[in-house]
Amino acid sequence: MSILFSGRASGAKANKINFIRRFVMFFVNHLRQALFSLGELWRTPGSSLMTMAVLGLSLTLPTTLHLLVKNVQQVSGGFAKAAEISLFIRDSATSQQVQGLKTILEGDPQIAAVRHISKDAAMQEFQQASGFGAALNYLTENPLPDVLVVLPLHTEPAAARALQQQLEKERIVEFAKLDLEWLQRLDAVVLLLQQAVVAIGLLLLSAVLLIVSNTIRLSIISKREEIEVMKLVGATDAFIQRPFLYTGFWFGVFGGLLAFLVTEVLLWWLRGAIAGISDLYQSDFRLQAMSLQEFGGLILLAVLLGVIGSYLSVRRHLRAIEPS
Amino acid sequence: MLQFDHVSKSYPGGFVALERINFRIAKGEMVFLTGHSGAGKSTILKLISMIERPSTGRVMINNIDLSRLKRSQVPYVRRDVGIIYQNHRLLMNHTVFDNVALPLVIEGFTGKEMVKRVHAALDKVGLLDKQRCLPQTLSGGEQQRVGIARAVVNKPPLLLADEPTGNLDPELSRDIMRVFEAFNQVGVSVLVATHDLGLIARMRYRTLTLKQGRMINDGLMPVQEPL
Repeated sequence: MSILFSGRASGAKANKINFIRRFVMFFVNHLRQALFSLGELWRTPGSSLMTMAVLGLSLTLPTTLHLLVKNVQQVSGGFAKAAEISLFIRDSATSQQVQGLKTILEGDPQIAAVRHISKDAAMQEFQQASGFGAALNYLTENPLPDVLVVLPLHTEPAAARALQQQLEKERIVEFAKLDLEWLQRLDAVVLLLQQAVVAIGLLLLSAVLLIVSNTIRLSIISKREEIEVMKLVGATDAFIQRPFLYTGFWFGVFGGLLAFLVTEVLLWWLRGAIAGISDLYQSDFRLQAMSLQEFGGLILLAVLLGVIGSYLSVRRHLRAIEPS
Repeated sequence: MLQFDHVSKSYPGGFVALERINFRIAKGEMVFLTGHSGAGKSTILKLISMIERPSTGRVMINNIDLSRLKRSQVPYVRRDVGIIYQNHRLLMNHTVFDNVALPLVIEGFTGKEMVKRVHAALDKVGLLDKQRCLPQTLSGGEQQRVGIARAVVNKPPLLLADEPTGNLDPELSRDIMRVFEAFNQVGVSVLVATHDLGLIARMRYRTLTLKQGRMINDGLMPVQEPL
């Protein structure tokens, strides 16, 4: 395109290079520029590695926290059964009455399952688990009641509480106990954690933006003369800024990969300790690693940060450099 | 094709670099611009390449007023004007080939077409065998010729040169002037700013003479007249 000389053949377009070839060359050119920027990073390993390390380590913290929240959610999801309602049966009730109530409840559409724990079974379990063992043999009679454990179909707090109140009206039921509060507390803690992750994440991400943009700024200043020459021979701002944007892109790619590696090492480190704890709690809990999607998201986020940070800097500083 | 219309340029602080300059250069004309240092030669070149804008008056190329162009259009103007700088302005950490290829890369040339043009430009200035060298390893005259090759590689219709023979011996100066004449003969308009009066006298082209920002002579320089 020539503004001044309308008839002047100029540029690849005017020189009749066909469309498909130009289309292919567009991508080839970008690839070439990307590789060129990669080469530039390779030639200045010190500062490049520093920036990538800062980016990577800054991303590691939000990533690890995210995985932590994910795992806690997985654990608390396993607590759905905690909304069980325990019906303590009056001493006066006969075992026939208890069986009758169990049958009625099993037919109730609001109820998923009913389990009967008899006095004797409860006593045995207590003897084994409590550690009182033989001492309990001195009791003249079994003080424990029969218990019907009801699992509601709807385990949300409100529905479960309504069911509890309804069941408490049964004649042979002494009282019904619903242990919901600790579950609600756990949910609240998880929510708090999640929001903390978001807040810390946002802070760290803005720090990353500033760091990338400062690195690019230094790189622009060190290439001041080169940029002036390019402007003198007719380079547009878009042409000049492209290598810097690719530099930001590579910062993102390598920073993201570093964050992934560090997180994996952290998880591996924690895995042993967590196995120990979950053994103690007789749980088969296993730490969940990063999924492929999450890995992709992490890299994408890192690349975005790199490119945006670089763009912020380029937009401000390239304009300021004019040949004199 | 190039026209200065009552152009003045003053800098902040009151220094007047140019005062009401008028001249025209026709298509295919070769013109010298001379005067003492500080007379305004460089300012005229900077106005044409849009490094500076005039305070008043109009600089026109092909009847297009440069001051009406937007900032984003400046690069395209510079692609139409090949400029040779006194201090060469080469990329010192790139090879001669890369330096000459730069304007073509900017315009989107690739592959064989680009290599062909770069070789043609380097051949014209006699540096084809030095294309893999870094500019630092070349002499001043050779660096100047790399600058010329870069200025002409995309065949601009207008060529500006700022003291192209500034620190060269007479032999080399003559060679470089012959290169300019060769471009002029294929229809390129050439404007050479120089204070080498001997050179101007030998070449006998139209000469614009500046003195303290004013044009004091436009035409053939009388050989004997002391400036």
